[in-house]
Amino acid sequence: MFAKLKKKIAEETAVAQRPGGATRIPRSVSKESVASMGADSGDDFASDGSSSREDLSSQLLRRNEQIRKLEARLSDYAEQVRNLQKIKEKLEIALEKHQDSSMRKFQEQNETFQANRAKMAEGLALALARKDQEWSEKVDQLEKEKSFLTAQLQEMKNQSLNLFQRRDEMDELEGFQQQELSKVKHMLLKKEESLGKMEQELEARTRELSHTQEELMTSNQMSSDLNQKLEELQRHYSTLEEQRDHVIASKRDAENKITALEQKEQELQARIQQLSIDLQMVTAETQHKGKAITHLQEKVTSLEKRLEQNLSGEEHLQELLKEKTVAEQNLEDTRQQLLAARSSQAKATDALETRVKELEQTLQVSEEQLQQSRDIVAAQEAQLQELATTTKEGSCAQQQILTLEQQCTERTHALEAQITALERARVADQTAAEHRMRELEQENAALKESRNEYEHSLQHHQFELKKLQEEWSQREIVSVAMAQALEEVRKQREELQQQAANLTAVIDEKEQSLQEKAAVLLQKEQEILQLEQGHNSAVLQMHQLQDELQALRSLRAEGTAAAVEQEDLLRLQGQVQGEALSVSELHVTSKTMQDPVFQRPAVGGTPNGEVGTMDLGQLQKEKQDLEQQLTEKNKTIKQMQQRMLELKKTLQKELKIRPDNELFEVREKPGPEMANMAPSVTNNADLTDAREINFEYLKHVVLKFMSCRESEAFHLIKAVSVLLNFSQEEENMLKETLEYKMSWFGSKPAPKGSIRPSISNPRIPWS
Amino acid sequence: MRILILGLDGAGKTTILYRLQVGEVVTTIPTIGFNVETVTYKNLKFQVWDLGGQTSIRPYWRCYYSNTDAVIYVVDSCDRDRIGISKSELVAMLEEEELRKAILVVFANKQDMEQAMTPSEMANSLGLPALKDRKWQIFKTSATKGTGLDEAMEWLVETLKSRQ
Repeated sequence: MFAKLKKKIAEETAVAQRPGGATRIPRSVSKESVASMGADSGDDFASDGSSSREDLSSQLLRRNEQIRKLEARLSDYAEQVRNLQKIKEKLEIALEKHQDSSMRKFQEQNETFQANRAKMAEGLALALARKDQEWSEKVDQLEKEKSFLTAQLQEMKNQSLNLFQRRDEMDELEGFQQQELSKVKHMLLKKEESLGKMEQELEARTRELSHTQEELMTSNQMSSDLNQKLEELQRHYSTLEEQRDHVIASKRDAENKITALEQKEQELQARIQQLSIDLQMVTAETQHKGKAITHLQEKVTSLEKRLEQNLSGEEHLQELLKEKTVAEQNLEDTRQQLLAARSSQAKATDALETRVKELEQTLQVSEEQLQQSRDIVAAQEAQLQELATTTKEGSCAQQQILTLEQQCTERTHALEAQITALERARVADQTAAEHRMRELEQENAALKESRNEYEHSLQHHQFELKKLQEEWSQREIVSVAMAQALEEVRKQREELQQQAANLTAVIDEKEQSLQEKAAVLLQKEQEILQLEQGHNSAVLQMHQLQDELQALRSLRAEGTAAAVEQEDLLRLQGQVQGEALSVSELHVTSKTMQDPVFQRPAVGGTPNGEVGTMDLGQLQKEKQDLEQQLTEKNKTIKQMQQRMLELKKTLQKELKIRPDNELFEVREKPGPEMANMAPSVTNNADLTDAREINFEYLKHVVLKFMSCRESEAFHLIKAVSVLLNFSQEEENMLKETLEYKMSWFGSKPAPKGSIRPSISNPRIPWS
Repeated sequence: MRILILGLDGAGKTTILYRLQVGEVVTTIPTIGFNVETVTYKNLKFQVWDLGGQTSIRPYWRCYYSNTDAVIYVVDSCDRDRIGISKSELVAMLEEEELRKAILVVFANKQDMEQAMTPSEMANSLGLPALKDRKWQIFKTSATKGTGLDEAMEWLVETLKSRQ
C-alpha cells in the first residue's frame, strides 16, 4: 500500500516537474509538513504533561531547538519557494508562448470562422429567403387550405345540422309511426274487444234463442198435452152430457113419479083425513057409547041400589037382576062390538098409517133419490162448467201459445237478423281492420324503407363526418399552429392596443391642450376683436388724417400724384384690411387669409410715416404692434393647426384600429358645428355619455317596456338599448325575442354573443 | 299607424294626447319619459306616442323615430322666447333619416290665450315654408278648449290615406 502510495507521489512529483502540474507540488509538501507538525505537536503535548519551573528551561531549550529546526525548515521552504518561483517563471514563459500560439491559432480560426460564417450567412440568407418564399407559399397554401377547410367545415356543419335535423325528423316520424301503430293497435284491440263482446252477446242471444226454442218445445208439448186433455175433457164432457141427459130423463121420471106420488099422497091424505074424520066419528061414537055405557053403568048402579032397597021384593029383584044381566050382556056385546070396530078401525088406521108410512118412506126415498140425482146434476153441471172453463182456458192457452209462438218466431227472426247484422258488421270491421292493417303495414314498410334510407344516408353522412372529422383533426393541428400564430398576432395586437391606449392617452392630453388652445384662441379672438375695434378706430383716425391730408394738400401746392396715389392706396388697403378683419371675425379657422391682410397695412403704414404727423406715427406704432401680435397669433394658430392635423391623423389611426368608435366620432364631429349654429338643439346630442342618462327616465322607460304590449315594447327596444348601453348583438337578440313572442310560430332564438361566453371564446384544442 | 307627439316641455303634448283619446281635458304633470295610447279616429287606429319634451330627455326622441308615419309637433303659441329653440329642435328632428317619410303636423297650441301668435307668424318663425320634400300643415289648436284638433286630425287622416 505504502509502496504504491509512494510510487504515486513520485509520479506526481515527476508530473509536477512539467509545466501545468505546478499546483500539485505544494499539496504534497503541505502533506509532509502537516505530518511533521503533527509529530512535533505530539512531542509538545508530552512535554506539557510536566509542569515544573525546571522543566521550563529545558522546555525553552527544546523550543529553541524546535525553532531552529523550524527555521531550517523555513529556509528549506524558502528554497523550495524559490525553486517554485523559477518553475513558475518557466511556466509563465511557456504559457505566454502557448498563449501566443493559441492566439495566433485562434485568430486564424476566427478568420476562417468569420469567412465561413459570412459564407454560411449568405447561404443561410439565401436558404432563408428560399425558405421564406416557400414558407410564404406554404402559408398561402395553408391559408387557402384553411379557407377551403373552413368552407368545408361550414358545409359539413351545415350537413351535420341537416343530418341532425333529418335525424330529428326521422325520430319524429318514428314517433309518429309508433304513435300511429299504437293508435291502430289500440283501435284493433278495441275492435277485438267489441268483437268479443259482440260474440259474447251473440252467444248469449243464441243461448237465449235455444232457451226460447226449448221453451217453445215445452210449450208445444204442453199445448199438445193440453189438447189431449181437452180432447179427453171433451169426451168426458160428452159422456157427462149423456149422463146428464139420462139424469135429466130420470129426473123427469122421478118428477113424474113424485107428482104421481104426491097425487097418491094427496089421495092418501084425503083418505087419511076421511079416516081421521071416521076416527073422529068413531071416537065420537065411542065417546057416545062410553057415555051410554057410563049412563047404563049408572043405571046399573042405580038399579043395584034399588035392588038392594027392594030386597023384599026378590022376584022383582030377580027379574031386575035378570034384566041387569041381560043389559050387561048387551053391554058386553056392544063393548065387544065397539072393541071389534075399534080394532078394525085401528087395524084400518094402522094399515093406513103403515101405508102412509110406507108411502112417506117411498117418498122420502124418492126424494132422497131426487136429491141425489139433483146433486149429481149439480155436480155434473159444476163439472160441465169446469169443463167449459177448462175448454175456454185451453183455447186461451192455445191462443197464448200461438201468440207466444209468434213472438218467439218474431224474436228468433229479430235475433237472427241481429246476428246476421252483427256478423256482417263484424265481417266489415274485420275487413276494415284488415284493410287498415294492410295500409299500416304498407305505411310501416314505407317508413321502414325511408328509415333504412335515412339510416343509409346517416351512415353515409357519419362516414363523411368521420372523414371530415379526421380531416378536421388534421386541420385542427394546422389550426393549432395558426392559433399559435394568431396568439402571437394577438399579443402583437395587444401591444398595439396598449400603444393605441397610450396614443389615446396622448390624444386625450392633446385634446385637453387643444381645448386649452381653443380657449386661448377664443381669448385671442377677443383680442382680435379688440384689435379690430382699435383698427377701426385707427381707420377712422386715418380717414380724419386723410381729410386733414387733403386739406393740407389743398393748402400745400406740393401735393404730388404719388402721395395721392399712396394715400388712395392706403385708403384702399385700410378698407381691404377692414374687410379682411371682418372676414377673420367670421372664420377663425381661415387664418391664412389674414396673413397678407395684416401684412399689407404694414406696407401701407410706411408711406404714412412720410406724411409725418404725430398721430400717424402713433398709429404706425400701434399698427406695428398689432401686426406683431397678429403675426404671433398667426404663428400660434398655425402651430395649433399643425397640432390639430397631427391629432386628427393620430385619431384617424386610432379609428382605423378601433372602428367601433367611428360612430362616436362621426357624431362628435358635427357636434360643435351644430353647437355653433344652434346651441340649444339637444334632440340629436350625443347619448353615449353614460353620465347624462337620466335615471328617472331610464326607470320610466324600463317600467313601460316591461309592462306594455309587445307591439309597443318593440318600439322601445332602441330606447332601452341606448339607455342601458346594449351592444348591437344584445339589441338584436332583444328584437328577435320580442318578434318570437309576438308571432305564433317560430322557435325561440338561442341566446348568443356575450350572453353565452362559452361560444365566443376561441376554441382551445386538446393537444 | 304610428304617430309621435313632439315639442318643447309645457307645449301641451300630453293634454292633446288625452284630448284625442278620451275627449276630455286631464290634469297633467310634466312627462318624464313618455305616454303611449291607442287613438281611434275615423276607423283608423293610431298608436300615439307622447314623448317628454324636457331638455334633458329630448336627446332620447331619436330612439323612437323608426317606423313613424306622422309627427305632431306641438308649439306653445304664447312662448315667443323659446320659439327659436322649438325651431332648431324641429329642424334637427326633420333631418333624421328615419323620419324622412313622416308627415308633419304642427299644432299652434294655446290659441285660446290672448297674446297668442298667429299660425302664419309661427310657420314663418319655425321656418316651415323652407321645408322641401315634406308634407306639412299647421293648425291653430287649443287642447283645453278642444278647438282645431278635429280639423288637424281630419287632414292627417286624409293625408295618410292618400299616401297609402
